[in-house]
Amino acid sequence: MKPSQTKLHEFILPRRLRRRRAVFYTTVLLLTSLATWFMADILWRSDSGINGLEWVLLILFVVLIAQVAVGFVTAMLGFYVINRGGDRQRITRTVDWDSGDVSLASTAIVMPVFNEDVSRVFEGLRVIYRSMEATKKIEHFDFFILSDSNKPNQWIQEEIAWVELCKQVNGLGRIFYRKRRHQINKKAGNVADFLRRWGKRYRYMVVLDADSIMSGEAIVKLVAMMEKNPQAGLIQTAPRLVYGESLYARMQQFANRLYSPIFLAGLNYWQQQDGNYWGHNAIIRVQPFMEHCALPDLPGSEPFGGRILSHDFVEAALMRKAGWHVWLAHDIEGTYEEGPPTLIDSAKRDRRWCQGNMQHAWLVTARGFRPANRFHLLMGVMAYASCPLWLLFMVLSTIHVFNQVLSPAVSSFGFENYTYVFGYFVRVPEALSLFLFTMLMIFMPKIISLITVLQRSEDAARFGGRGPVTLSAVLEIVFSSLLAPIHMMFNSKFVLFSLLGQGVSWVTQRRGAEDGTDWREAIITHGGQTLFGLVWGVSAFILLPSFFWWLSPVLAGLVLAIPVSIILSKGSLGTQARRIGLFLTPEEVQPPHELARLTQNLAECYKNMRPIEALRNDYGLLQAVLDPYINGIHVAMLRQRRPSEESRDWFSLLRHRLLSEGPSQLTQKETLALLLDAESMIWLHEELWKQPGSALAEWWRLAMRQYNVLTATPVTALYR
Amino acid sequence: MESVEAQLAAFRPRTGTMEAWNAAYVRTEDYLRAHRIHNRLHQSRLIQTVLERAALRHTENPALDPTTLAAEETEHLMDGWFAAVLDAKDLSHDRIAIEGRVAMLLCDGPQKWPYAFLDNRTIPEDFATAMRASSIEAGPDMAVSSMVPRDIDLGPITEAAGDTLERIEKWPLLRMVLLWALFLGALLGIFFATR
Repeated sequence: MKPSQTKLHEFILPRRLRRRRAVFYTTVLLLTSLATWFMADILWRSDSGINGLEWVLLILFVVLIAQVAVGFVTAMLGFYVINRGGDRQRITRTVDWDSGDVSLASTAIVMPVFNEDVSRVFEGLRVIYRSMEATKKIEHFDFFILSDSNKPNQWIQEEIAWVELCKQVNGLGRIFYRKRRHQINKKAGNVADFLRRWGKRYRYMVVLDADSIMSGEAIVKLVAMMEKNPQAGLIQTAPRLVYGESLYARMQQFANRLYSPIFLAGLNYWQQQDGNYWGHNAIIRVQPFMEHCALPDLPGSEPFGGRILSHDFVEAALMRKAGWHVWLAHDIEGTYEEGPPTLIDSAKRDRRWCQGNMQHAWLVTARGFRPANRFHLLMGVMAYASCPLWLLFMVLSTIHVFNQVLSPAVSSFGFENYTYVFGYFVRVPEALSLFLFTMLMIFMPKIISLITVLQRSEDAARFGGRGPVTLSAVLEIVFSSLLAPIHMMFNSKFVLFSLLGQGVSWVTQRRGAEDGTDWREAIITHGGQTLFGLVWGVSAFILLPSFFWWLSPVLAGLVLAIPVSIILSKGSLGTQARRIGLFLTPEEVQPPHELARLTQNLAECYKNMRPIEALRNDYGLLQAVLDPYINGIHVAMLRQRRPSEESRDWFSLLRHRLLSEGPSQLTQKETLALLLDAESMIWLHEELWKQPGSALAEWWRLAMRQYNVLTATPVTALYR
Repeated sequence: MESVEAQLAAFRPRTGTMEAWNAAYVRTEDYLRAHRIHNRLHQSRLIQTVLERAALRHTENPALDPTTLAAEETEHLMDGWFAAVLDAKDLSHDRIAIEGRVAMLLCDGPQKWPYAFLDNRTIPEDFATAMRASSIEAGPDMAVSSMVPRDIDLGPITEAAGDTLERIEKWPLLRMVLLWALFLGALLGIFFATR
């Protein structure tokens, strides 16, 4: 063994780590206490004492302000770390990259997919594969597409794209495709299924999302870090948001790129090896993961219990509990993902995450978990639970004001102090100090991030220059302030519905990628929020105009929810903003090779002619039955089964119906059943070509006439 | 001139209608095109071969549809040819058809060897080698292992809460009563807070 392999990197001493955490928690506590002091003082002064309602308000305030303080302190520690030239205690520092002495091991790169855009998935994989080839270390890596897609078109398109990609990059035997028959336990189940089948073959797995992109260099670095640190069980990277087209997506990726470095550096400063797992763009040591991270069900059934929906935080906690280190490699480049294109899409994602994160409440006090992991779990719960608490706080505050106004003992509300400014006496609301203190904690990290970038012209140039980055940050702060109350309303609803075990229904989208949210969708989705904001605002104004002005930032977001949602969803506005240099990110100013290549390939893909309207809905089935090669590939990948007599009769009936009546007469479940049955697929292919036209449904006759008429080879989801 | 006449006279379906044979021709042409046989000359030779065989069978049993016969003949032709190229004579029809088509696709046979498909006389050696080397591998050899969930000790309070929840779930009526009580409690709270 080489010396570099045997010599373990010495991480931070426990004493020093304790000191770092003491600084973090103490500062959070101090700031929370100070703000609470201000708040208690205001409540006390209002009627010389604190009544029941005011106690409730105070408790809610403590919970909410503590969360703000956590973010603020993390960012400030990050700022401190970055300013002194970076933390020496980083997992990325454990490997000497310049020496070229990097050892690697067998690694699976797994990409679970579920009804995703096939072109995006496979072109993304092509880019990763090519990038990996360029490192000249590809012999250590295998690639797995783990499909849970349950739409026939998606499934067949994935199979075709997989074969085509393998042929084009010469990846047969290195790029694999696995389609599960039953989608048990969603993504976590899909990965577990992979591990049960092939996990023993690999020392590591790099988990990607369907929209993840990682450069070969980044993946090689992750493996090298794992090899160098045998106690590391998981290393999470910090993916940059990319490919945003709508104004909303571009703002999100700008914010992610500008503000996240100080938060990430701060996070790494106090958490060190007690890091977290965010579900993708991470490397995992397979053997301990299999041993410790198979997730049991929680007590009860959904929504409180049952299957653990947000598995990543729990898996990190279980790895830590078993003694394995979990690191955040926040400074590793070449790791990307995409964000939701619109506010409504973002809310839909939050709906999914909300229930999973709320379940973590069960695990906060689990035996054996590390305090840092409990903290992560708690923060995950609070990310959603804080929204209804904030709403409750605001509503109770309104009630409190209502009581104050009605109370004969209180002649005026909120204006008791005066200050002397430029020769004038100015009335100062007594809550101003608290307001300023809170705003400082919320906005200071953003301002500091901006100043950090502005300090060096090269850094500013990566965001389009000093002027554009400043203007973009100001606009982002304005829009994020408007969005905060909308998220509050959404998440409050999600938390409530999760607790009641109810689903949330969404309006069917009627949009292309560029059009964004239409008025109908926006009105139905945000109408309630607007109405709530209007009623609340009018009531507050009638009650006490000065209170209305205090509420106005929140009310503005709610009242303007519909136009804000529509404007931010516009792809055309996103493009326009990019043209004038707004919300630019380093990945847009100087696109890395992988991203530039993917953009180019996808543009070619989307030029491909789509199947004619009449055939489009069942085009996957069409190809699997009609095309001799696709039928061959599809059947070759199915497991042969011996069906019972009853099921044989059922399949026979379905097959005849499919050919004589067309696919529209079959349910999706029936279509999927046929696609899963090898015997049926062979029979269908042969019979389709054998039967005279009069015996076939008009749909099939059209399909046979049209297929291959316009193109020499069938259209695939790939760019060539 | 004589040779043209001889060629024209060499193949004429003796039974069946012209429409039926036209349909059989179109179907065979479509099927070959679906196999990416875009070489027209090669395609027309193959169609003639297939239809000749089909016509022969049709004379024996005119009740059969020429389209069906043509499709069956194409199938037989392909099975024999795939078996010869892949050197796999013992495989069942289903398997040889699937393996042959997969191999053709993976080695880009129709594009790289446009005259070779179904031609028994001359099978280029490199084509045959490429066909035999082409097989699909959806996953590497399995190395099956277990990944068994282990219970997480949730701590005494949470465990008790979990037990209670599971008990409540067994009594939907009790659950509903509790939810209503919570709702009414909230209403009462708001009522008194605003007094």
